[in-house]
Amino acid sequence: MLESLPQNSNLQDPDVQSALVQITTSARWRKDSLYVTLFLGPSLLLLSVFVFWPMIKTLYLSLFLTDNLGHASVFVGLSNYVNLFKDPAYLSSLGATLLYVIAVSVLTIVLGMLLAVAAQQHLQGIRFFRTIFSSTMGISVSVAAIFWLFAFNPSVGVFAQISQVLHLPEINWLADPHFALLAVIITTVWMNLGFTFLILFGALQQLPSSLFEAAKIAGVNKTTQFFKISLPLISPTLFFVLVVTLIDAFKSFGLIDLMTVGGPNNATNLLVYRVYQDAFLNGNYGLASTESVILTVIIAIITLLQFKLLGKRVNY
Amino acid sequence: MVFKHERCWFALTMLLLVLPLGACARSEAASRTPVVFWHEMTGPGQEQLKQFAKEFNASQTKYRVEPQFEGNYNEAVQKILHTHGTSASPAVFQSMDVSTSQLYHAKIGTPMQHFIDRDHYDINQTSPVARAFYSQNGNQISMPFNTSQPVLYYNASLLKRLGIKAPPVDPSYSDITRVAKAISAKSHGKVKGLTVEEYGWLFEQFMANGNEHLANHEDGRTGIPTKVQLNTPGTQAAMKWVRENIQAGDFIDYGAGSQAESNEIAAFLAGKLGIFIQSSAYISQLLAGTKDELGITYYPHQDGKPRNGVAVGGASLWISNDKPKDVQQGAWEFVKYVMTAKAQAQWQAATGYLALNKDSQKQPILQKLYKQHPSAQIPSQQLATIKANTANSGVFMEGVIQERNLAQTAMAQIYNGKDINKALAIAEKGLNRTVASTNQANHYK
Repeated sequence: MLESLPQNSNLQDPDVQSALVQITTSARWRKDSLYVTLFLGPSLLLLSVFVFWPMIKTLYLSLFLTDNLGHASVFVGLSNYVNLFKDPAYLSSLGATLLYVIAVSVLTIVLGMLLAVAAQQHLQGIRFFRTIFSSTMGISVSVAAIFWLFAFNPSVGVFAQISQVLHLPEINWLADPHFALLAVIITTVWMNLGFTFLILFGALQQLPSSLFEAAKIAGVNKTTQFFKISLPLISPTLFFVLVVTLIDAFKSFGLIDLMTVGGPNNATNLLVYRVYQDAFLNGNYGLASTESVILTVIIAIITLLQFKLLGKRVNY
Repeated sequence: MVFKHERCWFALTMLLLVLPLGACARSEAASRTPVVFWHEMTGPGQEQLKQFAKEFNASQTKYRVEPQFEGNYNEAVQKILHTHGTSASPAVFQSMDVSTSQLYHAKIGTPMQHFIDRDHYDINQTSPVARAFYSQNGNQISMPFNTSQPVLYYNASLLKRLGIKAPPVDPSYSDITRVAKAISAKSHGKVKGLTVEEYGWLFEQFMANGNEHLANHEDGRTGIPTKVQLNTPGTQAAMKWVRENIQAGDFIDYGAGSQAESNEIAAFLAGKLGIFIQSSAYISQLLAGTKDELGITYYPHQDGKPRNGVAVGGASLWISNDKPKDVQQGAWEFVKYVMTAKAQAQWQAATGYLALNKDSQKQPILQKLYKQHPSAQIPSQQLATIKANTANSGVFMEGVIQERNLAQTAMAQIYNGKDINKALAIAEKGLNRTVASTNQANHYK
């Protein structure tokens, strides 16, 4: 490229200089773009096929009614969205989902933290408890569901028998709309605890003991030590656990399907389960796409809020 | 050198292993036409289907039926629709009752009537009520296969122990209320009298048994439904009956879905529940699970109204129209095979689904079962004594699944105290909206 330039040209001329810079950068760009395509191409291709295209298609389908083969047939604009937000059943699903997500996240983190702190004590046999606390990590959703289904059984379940012995009012955990969501929350928190415990415990173990020794010498009590030293230092981990738990809770599906199938009276019909029902049971892909788009937007907004609001308080 | 030798040995062993396999596969494939069979059966049903395929394959040399499990009914329907016309689609498949209208309108099957007419196959040996569910305008669309009907189960030994007179075989709502009340009272509340699952299928059966149509155009038998009703005198009476038992404290609610079914069965087998209504397909599980004598009656009917009979549930067999003639022929041969009196009797004994061939009842395997458990023949009797009409042949409409969800929600609301009229009206309105949108999306008039 450069050789082709006229030798006698005035290189001091600013015009010529800028032209030269342009030529060299475009040459480098051409060379770089080869590498860019080479390295990004495969993953871009995969992402386009398996992520971007389905996303665009979902957005597209959400504007249509779909026929019995799942093809877009009648364009309805935004009316799928409008109808959903006018549907009391959908709005109650939305409410139930928010309640579920908040309850699961808060309970999981608080209980996980308590267990992690407890497991830090140097007591005899603490290793056994550490194993037990993290054991739910190895339990699959179906096993957990069956275990809790037996526990919640209104005739032969553990809870029913306890309340019978103590003469407490009988609670029909999974069939009573007031308790079904609570039952699912309890089960989910129990399932999540293993993972949360393990991560938080690991983070606590990593903290340098010199800080606590110094605090002890300065006469700082254990509670203050926890809130002023431990908590700020593990805040990145806590933040990570919060984001993961929250998003996981939004995506909860297995337990609902196995325990309540969205009932009773839609009390546990969370947003993801509704998407599944509309797409794969009712064959209504248009509506299901609309619901997916809404769910995606909600998760995106909440994650963004978390990063904006909480991200500042995290000490990295 | 040693390394090289090892490689040689390895290659030789692999070759020896693979060669006979290849030879086998080739000779098999050359002589037999493969017939891929998609089904959704688990447990004993799956075992029996494998057995059928094995027996059928041994009985002839032209075709090789390959049964493949495809997950639950709902998942399978989607797979069937989306693979149709590709090499991945099955030659013969099992599809659930409520998807019949959808598959019919998607035009993916060769109607059974085509084969029946061509072979002069005697379809009259198959149960008319089951046939009616899967036919339209007198044409058999698919072949009824695994078929059940809801029945009422009661613990006969428990009733004897408590000194309660058993309900009649064709009970009315008040007959059941009487027994449920007596169970609760005489067991001092230790045993719950009755449960009826929150289940759209059972809701439909209250209408069928009361001779009421759910959808217009005679449940879709004379045209595509455009209007539906869920709030009728019949459904109100049924819900009032349940409500009455709830208020008396003789009823226990187990909710909806498979957990409700396993909970009510667990309670029944443990002697903590006296009566429940459920599919006849549970019969083998119940017989195996308890030493107590099992009592069975027909589906209860409204007082002062004769029973019209309940519709069947389950699934039917379809032959895909995207396969070559010889493959379709193989599929038809297999369908005929599983519908023989002997195969159907075997099917009922193994699974609890009802034998659909009229001559199956005389087969030794069923005679033996009935001798051991006399009540086991009640479901077959119920099926045989129903006269098929458009109210008890199932709802031929796309969107029955949505109907079941809405009806189920209404039942849950009513069981938990909501006004019956209001709950049913909401469900009806929701279903009408769904039907309108389905018809619009599919360009039905």
